[in-house]
Amino acid sequence: MDLTRDRLREAYRTMRRIRHFEEKLAALVAGGRLGGFLHLYVGEEAVAAGVCAHLSDRDMVASTHRGHGHCIAKGVDVGGMMAELFGRATGTCKGKGGSMHIADMDRGMLGANGIVGAGIPLTVGAALTAKLKRTGGVAIAFFGDGASNQGQFHESLNMASNWKLPAVFVVENNGWGEFTPTRFVVPVADIAERARSYAMRSAIADGMDFFDVYEKAGEAIAVARAGRGPTLLECKTYRFQGHFVGDPLAYRPKEEAEEWKQRRDPLDLFERRCREAGLLEPDELRSIDGEVAAEIEAAVAAAEAAPLPDPSEVTTDVYAS
Amino acid sequence: MPRTLPTALAINEALHIAMQSDPDVILLGEDVAGGGARDAQGVDEAGGIMGVTRGLVKAFPDRVLDTPISEMGLLGAAVGAALTGLRPVVELMFMDFIGVCLDPLLNQAAKLRYMFGGKARVPLTVRTVVGAGMQAAAQHSQSLYWITAGIPGLKTVIPSNAGDAKGLLLAAIRDDSPVIFCEPKGILFQAGEVPEGDYEVPLGRAAVAREGSDVSLVGFGATVRLALEAADLLAAEGTSAEVLDLRSLAPLDEEAVLATLAKTGRLVVVDEATPRCGIASDVAALCVDRGFDFLNAPVRRVTAPHAPVPFSRVLEQAYMPSAQKVVDAVRGMG
Amino acid sequence: MVTPVVMPRLGMTMTEGKLIAWPVPLGGRVEKGQTLLVIESEKAEVEVEAAAAGVLRHIYVEPDPERAHPCGTLLAALADGRDEPFDAEAFHREHHRPHPQAAPPAAPRAAAPAAAPAAGRSGRAPVAPAARALAAKHGIDPARVPGSGPGGRVTREDVEAWLARRAALVEVAPGVCLEVPAAGEGDPVLLLPGFGTDVSIFARQTPALAAGHRVLGVNPRGVGLSDAPQASAYAVAEAADDAARVAPGPAHVVGASLGAAVALELALRHPERVRSLVLVTPFLEMGARSLAVLDAWCALAERAGPDLLARALLPWLFSEGFLADGAARERTARGLAEMALRVPAATLERQAAGLRAWSGTRRDGLAAIAVPTLVLVAGADLLAPEGEALGETIPGATTRVISGAGHALGIEAPDAVNAAILAHLADPASRIAAPQDGS
Repeated sequence: MDLTRDRLREAYRTMRRIRHFEEKLAALVAGGRLGGFLHLYVGEEAVAAGVCAHLSDRDMVASTHRGHGHCIAKGVDVGGMMAELFGRATGTCKGKGGSMHIADMDRGMLGANGIVGAGIPLTVGAALTAKLKRTGGVAIAFFGDGASNQGQFHESLNMASNWKLPAVFVVENNGWGEFTPTRFVVPVADIAERARSYAMRSAIADGMDFFDVYEKAGEAIAVARAGRGPTLLECKTYRFQGHFVGDPLAYRPKEEAEEWKQRRDPLDLFERRCREAGLLEPDELRSIDGEVAAEIEAAVAAAEAAPLPDPSEVTTDVYAS
Repeated sequence: MPRTLPTALAINEALHIAMQSDPDVILLGEDVAGGGARDAQGVDEAGGIMGVTRGLVKAFPDRVLDTPISEMGLLGAAVGAALTGLRPVVELMFMDFIGVCLDPLLNQAAKLRYMFGGKARVPLTVRTVVGAGMQAAAQHSQSLYWITAGIPGLKTVIPSNAGDAKGLLLAAIRDDSPVIFCEPKGILFQAGEVPEGDYEVPLGRAAVAREGSDVSLVGFGATVRLALEAADLLAAEGTSAEVLDLRSLAPLDEEAVLATLAKTGRLVVVDEATPRCGIASDVAALCVDRGFDFLNAPVRRVTAPHAPVPFSRVLEQAYMPSAQKVVDAVRGMG
Repeated sequence: MVTPVVMPRLGMTMTEGKLIAWPVPLGGRVEKGQTLLVIESEKAEVEVEAAAAGVLRHIYVEPDPERAHPCGTLLAALADGRDEPFDAEAFHREHHRPHPQAAPPAAPRAAAPAAAPAAGRSGRAPVAPAARALAAKHGIDPARVPGSGPGGRVTREDVEAWLARRAALVEVAPGVCLEVPAAGEGDPVLLLPGFGTDVSIFARQTPALAAGHRVLGVNPRGVGLSDAPQASAYAVAEAADDAARVAPGPAHVVGASLGAAVALELALRHPERVRSLVLVTPFLEMGARSLAVLDAWCALAERAGPDLLARALLPWLFSEGFLADGAARERTARGLAEMALRVPAATLERQAAGLRAWSGTRRDGLAAIAVPTLVLVAGADLLAPEGEALGETIPGATTRVISGAGHALGIEAPDAVNAAILAHLADPASRIAAPQDGS
C-alpha cells in the first residue's frame, strides 16, 4: 500500500488521537473523575498505527489490557470509548466492559483483554474463520513481551503455523513486563527468534518508527492474505508511563524513561521524518492536533453528561438465548 | 420396532446432522479426525478417544480438524472462531483437563458477550467426557460439571440416555451461547431408543423419567439409571418413587424440581460428583430456599465421597453412587 | 449495692412480658413505691413499683411493644448511688435468668379460637416444614400433634391424621369443638373425666360399657384434640353445658372426680338431658390437701416433664395396696405420663381456676336432682373423703363404698366399678326417663 498524503495524515491523526486520549485519561484519573484499572499506551502509538493502517473492517484485531491504542487505530469510535470508561450506557460496551474489555465487532476489534495472552488464541480462531469462510481477511494479535512467555502464546503459534493461518502476531516488546525488565524473564535477545520453533516467518521493526512498522507489517499482512502463513512481528518499543495509572514506577530508572521520551518519541520522529522528506507540513500537523484535542474534549463532556446504565442491565446479555 | 443405538453413535448422528445443516459447524479437538488418517486412504480413522467422531472427517473433510495437545490454545482458538462467525464444536477429551483450559471458558467464552455490552456472541459447544467407572483413575474420571454450571454465561447440559444425547447436542450446537455438553462414561456405550432425523431436546428443561408419589429421586447423566433401579427396589417395599432427570444443569429447571418436591415432600439428589459446592448441594438449597413448606423430611444427597477417584475396581465401585445407596438414603430420611 | 430489675412474673400463667416504658430516665432517682417500669402482659399494662429507693444505673433492655421477654430477663440495674462502681457485663452474667420457654411459638390464629400453644412441654419434637405449613393453614399448633417421624418428628402425614381425627369433633359452642371418642351401640352413656385427665382414664370401663351402650367419652376444653379457647378459667358450669350438647338425646352420665362435679351441674342445669347419674369419687368442696395437690399438679406440669408429674401423682391417686405392686405402679406411671401429654399446662391452670371457683357452691343444692344416681366412693380416697355424705344428700341415690381403694377408682378396682355401673344401668329405675320411641 502506498503512503499517500491522506494516509499519512490519517496515520498522524491516529497516533495523535491515541496520545491525547491516553494523556487525557491520566489527567482524569488524577482529578478523581475516572475509576477502574487503566493501562496506558503512551509511547507505543507507532505500532498500532503502523499495523492498522493496512487493515479494514473485515480484518480482525485482538488486543491486551493496554488496548486503547489498538481500539483507536482499528477505528473504534473515540466518543464511545470515552463513555465506556466513564461507565455510561452510551459506552461502546454499554458500560459493562470497562477499559480492559472495550470491543467493537463491527470494526473487527475483538476486544482488549484482561487476561495476559488470551487474545492470541482468539486471533488464531479468527484467522481460522477467515480461512474457512474465505473472507480474505487477516487476524492480528497484539500482545506484549510478557505474554510471549504464556503457554497459550506457544500453543497458538504452533497451531497457526500447522494450519498456515492468515495471522500476524505482533509482539510489542517495550522492555518491561509489568514491573519486571524483559531481560530477566526472556532468555532470547529478540522475541522474534521464538518463531523458528514453529517454522514461522518473523521480522523485527523499530516500534518507535511508524514507517518501519508500516513496512514490516505490510509485508507480513500481504504474506498472510496470500495464504502463505503467519508471521511473528516484534516491534521494539517503550512504555512511557507506568504499568497502570497510579503506578509510582519506583522499579524503573527515571533516566531510562527520559532518554526514550526525549530522543525516541514516535510522534516527534514521525513529524521530523515528514518534514525532512517534505511529506507533510507542520501546520497540517498542528491543525490535526487541534482537531484531535477538540474531539477528545467533546468526548469527555459528552461522556460525563451521558446517562448511567439502568441497574436492570446487571443481568442482561449473560446469554445469547 | 423402535431403533436403539449406543449413546456414542447417537452423538455421532447429531454431529452429522448439525454439520449437514449448517456449513459453519466445524469440529476441533485432539484426534477427532483420528490422527494420520486424514492423509491415509482407506484407513478407518479413530474418530476421537471414544470413537464418537468416527466417519465425520470423510463426510466433511475441511471441517474436522485434529489439533495439537494444546487445550488452552485450542479452546481459545475455538472461542475466537465462534466470536467471528463459525460454530465450532470442540472436544475436550476428559473434563479433568479443564484445568489447563479454564481461562478461555471462564474469562473469554462466558464473558465476552456481557463485557461487550451484548454486541458479540460465542456459539461454541464443548463436548467432554465425565464420570468414573472405567478404572481410568483420579485424573481421568472426574465429574466437574459443577464448575461450569456455576459460571454465568456458560450453559451446561448432560444427557442420561442415547435419545436425549442426540437431541440435546443438536440443541446445544444451535444455541448461540457457549454450551458444555457432558458425556457420562456410564452411558456412552449403553443403547437406548434414538428417533430418526433432526430433533432437539430443549436446554433448561428437566424430564420426569418415572412418576411416583412418596419420594422424589433427582438424577442426571449416569445417575438416572441408578435412580430408576432404586425406584424398582423401593416399589417392592411399597414406596412409590418419582424420578426426575435434570438434563440441564445450567440453566437449571427449578420449577420441575419444586414441582416434584411439592408432589412428594421428600427429595433425594443423586450426583456422581464429589459433595462440596456441587449440583446436589445446589438442588438441596433450592428446595430449602423456595420449597421450604413442601419439605416433609430432610433433603438427602447421594454423591461420591470427598476424595479423588481411586483406581482399584473394588474401591471405584465403593466410590460411585449406587441404587442401594439411594434406597438407604430414602429409608433413613423418615 | 446494686440490685437487678428483672421481668417480673405476675401471676401463675405469665411466661413473658413486653417492656413498654421506663418512666425514670437513666441515672434518675426513684423512690420506694414509685413506678419503676411499665410492662404489658396478657393484654394488660402493669405499672411495676420500685421495691426500694435507688438510681437507675444501667438499662439492658429498651422499651419495645412488639418484643416479648421471658420472665427473669434482666432489664436494668438499680444502684444505691449514682457513682457506684458497676460492671454491666458481669452483672448481666450473674443476674440474667430468663425462665426457660417451654412453650412452642403459637401457630398463627385462625378465625375460630383455635388451639393456644401448649405450655409446660419440655423437649419439643421437631416439626417438618410441610407439617408446619399445613398446621398453620388450619390454625392448629403443630406441637399438639403426635409425631411419627424419626426423633418424634411431626410429619405432614401426622398433621393430616390429626386433622382427620378432628373432623370427627362435636361442636358444643360457636367455634368450640370437643373430641368425643365413641364406642359401642345402644343407649348413650357420657363419660366425663376428672381434673387433668382425658377419657382414657375410663379405659377399664369402656369395653364393659360399650358391650351394650353407645359410650361417648367427652374430652373437655383444652384436653386431647378438643379446642382450647383462651380463658382465665374453664368453669364447671360451662363444661356441663358443653357436655349437654354432646349426646344426641338424654344420656346416662358417668363422671369421675371433677367429672362428677360436671355431671352434677349437668343434672341440675339440664335435667332433661340426663337419664341417670354415676358419680365416681365425687366431692362438693376442695379440702386443703386437694388444693395443695392441685397446685403441685399445675406446677409440675409447667416446670417438670410428664414423667415426673406422673410419678408425683401416684401416691395421691392410688391406695397402699395398689402401689405395693411395682409392675402395676410402673405401668400406671407410664400411662399417666402418656396421658399428660394430652393435657397441656394451660388447660390445667384453667381447670384449676374453674374448680376453685366452683368448690363449695353446691353444698345445699343436690336435693333438686331427680334422676337415678349411683355414687361410688373409694374407701382410701385421700382427695375426696366425703363421698358417702354427699350420696346421702341426693334423693334416692345408691352409694357403694369400695374399701381400701384410692381416688383413681376406675383404674384401681375396675371389676367392682364396672359391675356396679352395669347393675345401675340395668336397674329398671333408670329407664323411667327413656323416651317411648327408644331413640
